[in-house]
Amino acid sequence: MNLIVYRSSGPHKPRYDSFEIEVKRGMTVLDALFQVRDEVDDSLSFRYSCRGAVCGSCAMLINGRPMLACRTQLEKLLEQAPELKLAPFPAAKGRMGYDADIEVLVEPLPNLPVIKDLAVDMTSFFEKLEQVEPYLVPLAPIPEREYMMERKFVNELEKFTNCILCAACYGACPVNAEDASYTGPAALAQAYRFAIDPRDERGKERLAMEDKPSGWPACRFYSNCHKVCPKGVPPNYAISKARKELSEREKGA
Amino acid sequence: MNQIHSFDAAVIGGGLTGLRAAVEVAEAGLSVAVISKVHPLRSHSVAAQGGMNASLGNNQEAGEDSWEAHAFDTVKGSDYLADQDAAAVLCQAAPAAVLEMEHWGTVFSRDAEGRIAQRPFGGAGFPRTCYAADRTGHNLLHTLHQQARRRGIVFFEEHCATKLQVERGACIGFTAYNLLSGEMEGFRTNACLLATGGYGRVYAHSTNAHINTGDGNHLALQAGVPLKDMEFVQFHPTTLFGTNILISEAARGEGGLLLNRHHERFMERYSPTVKELAPRDIVARAIQKEIDIGNGFEGGFVHLDLTALGKDRIMEVLPGIHQISVDFAGVDPVEAPIPVQPGQHYSMGGVDAANDCATSLPGLYAAGECACISVHGANRLGGNSLLETIVFGRIAGTSMSKHVRGRPSTPSAALMGALKSESLRITALRSSGEGNERMRAIRNELKSTMWRSFGIFRERGSMEKGLDAIRSLQRRARMVKVGDKDEVFNQAVIGVLELQAMLPVSEAIAVGALAREESRGSHARVDFPKRDDQRFLAHSLVTSSDGGMSLSYVPVRTGQFPVKERAY
Repeated sequence: MNLIVYRSSGPHKPRYDSFEIEVKRGMTVLDALFQVRDEVDDSLSFRYSCRGAVCGSCAMLINGRPMLACRTQLEKLLEQAPELKLAPFPAAKGRMGYDADIEVLVEPLPNLPVIKDLAVDMTSFFEKLEQVEPYLVPLAPIPEREYMMERKFVNELEKFTNCILCAACYGACPVNAEDASYTGPAALAQAYRFAIDPRDERGKERLAMEDKPSGWPACRFYSNCHKVCPKGVPPNYAISKARKELSEREKGA
Repeated sequence: MNQIHSFDAAVIGGGLTGLRAAVEVAEAGLSVAVISKVHPLRSHSVAAQGGMNASLGNNQEAGEDSWEAHAFDTVKGSDYLADQDAAAVLCQAAPAAVLEMEHWGTVFSRDAEGRIAQRPFGGAGFPRTCYAADRTGHNLLHTLHQQARRRGIVFFEEHCATKLQVERGACIGFTAYNLLSGEMEGFRTNACLLATGGYGRVYAHSTNAHINTGDGNHLALQAGVPLKDMEFVQFHPTTLFGTNILISEAARGEGGLLLNRHHERFMERYSPTVKELAPRDIVARAIQKEIDIGNGFEGGFVHLDLTALGKDRIMEVLPGIHQISVDFAGVDPVEAPIPVQPGQHYSMGGVDAANDCATSLPGLYAAGECACISVHGANRLGGNSLLETIVFGRIAGTSMSKHVRGRPSTPSAALMGALKSESLRITALRSSGEGNERMRAIRNELKSTMWRSFGIFRERGSMEKGLDAIRSLQRRARMVKVGDKDEVFNQAVIGVLELQAMLPVSEAIAVGALAREESRGSHARVDFPKRDDQRFLAHSLVTSSDGGMSLSYVPVRTGQFPVKERAY
């Protein structure tokens, strides 16, 4: 098969390079990228670390869909098309198409500037995360032992603490593509995560921080975020809960 | 163009240890920077699964737990090589470390009453491992990163430290390669912490992230600081067959069984009392032996069978293991056993550091996996490494804060000089013509050499060949050039810097392993199958000088717990 890779470096015009890969059983897109770098072109750039789908380094567009390169197997890509359809978002711009039976197309995440090849500048993604003040401020009085917490709270929080901040959702979001000021799915999910934490000093008051045109209201529920999340995190659900809570609060006032 | 940054203290490594230390320095009102080869959230701490030990005693059915019981398990697990006063520091501080992380936001799994749940782990006499499902490292790392950002700590992401600057017998800073700009930057600081994690990638089969290349160990060696107990390399019993992704010990803690191809629960033969929950070195050797004598499955693996746990329990407490098995092996552990084999997992050895994390070089500190304090001795217990990061990260932060107070980071002309020479070194890699050696070939030969000669079972002949091979690879590595000529985001340069760390670190492992003529913990000599307390109840120290490595020993600090034969 051929790995078709988006290449971009400095002032040079972006291009697509094709690399022939001999597919072995279980071989992932990340393995294939390493093979290219080791054997053909050591200037191929892409982020990586854990290779076990927990560190969030290697989200990229694979056949037009944001995925983690380390958990995506080439054989499976060649065998079948992904099951959940996504709402249109700015995917491949340069390359018109590819032959899904024998080719895999690899491109950088959209909605973030490219640094080189598949490595994107994550600054704006992390700045928006900062904006929601994503850290627990422990509710006084701080207990001598742990805060007691029912399992139902743990289960609800886990939906969001599972986020690995890979930015797959950010790359897949049609609203992020149109509106650079939109806080985006990952950061909003974290805003909600701290709002529902029974140990947090501000708790639900936090929801007000993103009650602004670029925050909760900007989401149009395309749900690409949830569909592409490698960890099953549902930002769309967090956003709808937050909106409901805020509108009820308004009615109550 | 080269920039020099100045901070009261700097931490090299953005994993749990580094972040915890940085938080402590910031709390003391001092300026601190974290320098990390990757974004801190990509650090290997994120991959820790099973949990963090502390004698909270929440599992009341199991009776009273105590820090002393935890310390005893740790020392026995270490095959009595741990320094007992260090193990005491670790275990005494454990409950507070867990509670601190809970108060900062970590969502630990809970028992029916809402307390932090605790599960059994290998080598532990009590269910004392606290966990966040099987994503404990991920949850802790995100929490600490959040708390670090909250405190205004300055991060230098995608910066690879290349050399410590030593002046008048003290560490006064270091140089680092900025991946984004391709430039070298200087860091002037009177206290510097090595918190760079392990070197697992020197082995062909490792659970470690690609980034774990022993960078901090190399920085210490270069600066004349000894590495301690490097021959003690932990092989985890259960890594996914093929990719060697970690399958947490929690899988056995929750009741998973190890079966050979005859469907025999073979651990009954190797460890009749605790079976699957023997310490890692014992279980790893048992699995390897089963494979070696033909009781494994074709290709070289055994089965880890979780099917008796049932779907609900698996999805509640081992969701990550479930996902890894499905994604990477195509096996649903609810339905079928997981194929597993041993793989390199952890480094008990590391930069020689005292209980306050100070090294022999004033101004230089080390903690976490890259350090050897020594709390793990010859074999680390599962659940003790996350604990070590939080406890000794804090202690390192305190020590650095004390050290730098009233000691301003004044400009250093020598650091400017080092910055220039390090820049030239990188430029030479990038700009000169094609070299006749390829990074990949040398790296791959090193990995297979280490696996073959310094793996689970060791013996003199093979190790001597291995050491020769490492030395010849070092000569070849001097001829490596990179093809990528870009300044911006040149990862080929990082690859060479990593290789330059991996080779001497491997040599230190080899030198220690050859000289230790006994079997203790993870170090299993076929030619010396017995533990020899007369000669080797001692820590090895390897120091690099004039291109060679010299070896010496210091006695283990025993005390509370008499040194006995280890049986499970």
